[in-house]
Amino acid sequence: MSLSTLVLSLADNKLMLGLRYAEWATRAPSLEADIAAAAMGLDDLGHSRVLYGCLDPLGEDPRGPERETDAASHLSLPYFDRPWTSWAQFVAANSVLDTAFSVMIQACVEGDVEVLRTRLRKMLNEERYHFLHGRSWLRAGIDQEPLNEAWRQAIEWYGPPDGEVAGLNRRGALSMGPAALLSRLEERLEATAPRVAIDWTAWDTTRRRGRPGVLDERTFGMLRGLEEKRFYPAGA
Amino acid sequence: MSSRHFTRVHGSVREYEVFARKARIDPLRMIGSVVAPDDDLAAAYARATYDEERWIEMAIVPREAMTILWAPGEDVD
Repeated sequence: MSLSTLVLSLADNKLMLGLRYAEWATRAPSLEADIAAAAMGLDDLGHSRVLYGCLDPLGEDPRGPERETDAASHLSLPYFDRPWTSWAQFVAANSVLDTAFSVMIQACVEGDVEVLRTRLRKMLNEERYHFLHGRSWLRAGIDQEPLNEAWRQAIEWYGPPDGEVAGLNRRGALSMGPAALLSRLEERLEATAPRVAIDWTAWDTTRRRGRPGVLDERTFGMLRGLEEKRFYPAGA
Repeated sequence: MSSRHFTRVHGSVREYEVFARKARIDPLRMIGSVVAPDDDLAAAYARATYDEERWIEMAIVPREAMTILWAPGEDVD
């Protein structure tokens, strides 16, 4: 896996995080939380756009034509495969996964790849408010199941101890390897990750996930603009 | 009168006044308020709700921390 593929994974996950946040813009438990969901969704959609824009300067854009036909070519985590059905899932993603992505962005900003150092820095400022939002709702208490799942997928996304992220860290492209990333995530959330047994031999090295599955059909259609086409005038 | 009651999710919330300014020469002015159970969530809500303009500074203050000298309709002694 190259640095470009890691950035594409970050971009795809940010895109899906933004879309799933936005789906809750009228379903959150309070009007303020509705607005926050919409604003954070907008932020993350914007971040994904910046990240996609980094692929070309990195010298290698891993996206091929299969992105239009094969949902499995999108590199998002299982957590985003289906729309969330509970506020607890929102909070777990907001606190754990969003922060996990921010910690990786920080590792890029502190690394030696110029395009990432300069273009990603502003994201960290915006992400501060996502973090405050997630941590506060987390402190209010949520179901353990989605929280454990979010932790598991964050650990899986950072990858195995001797994997490519560790290599990118040794090369200087990232300031942290998997163990340091997880440690920073725990430190930020003032929590200890649950002990999870991960079978790295079954782990998908490109999609950075431990189990198969793809985005639901409607979401995949929406990403490709097919949902909008349903509303076109006949013959357009 | 409607019998519906609006119940907030959090049991205990505070109202925060939101202040902002667009230029260094401007004074901070009150641009609105948010309701939240703690400072962190209030900051996140203020930024999400009032971020449509290019503020150079934004601050929140718990309403209870403000000492009101007089209010509309009250005599100024």
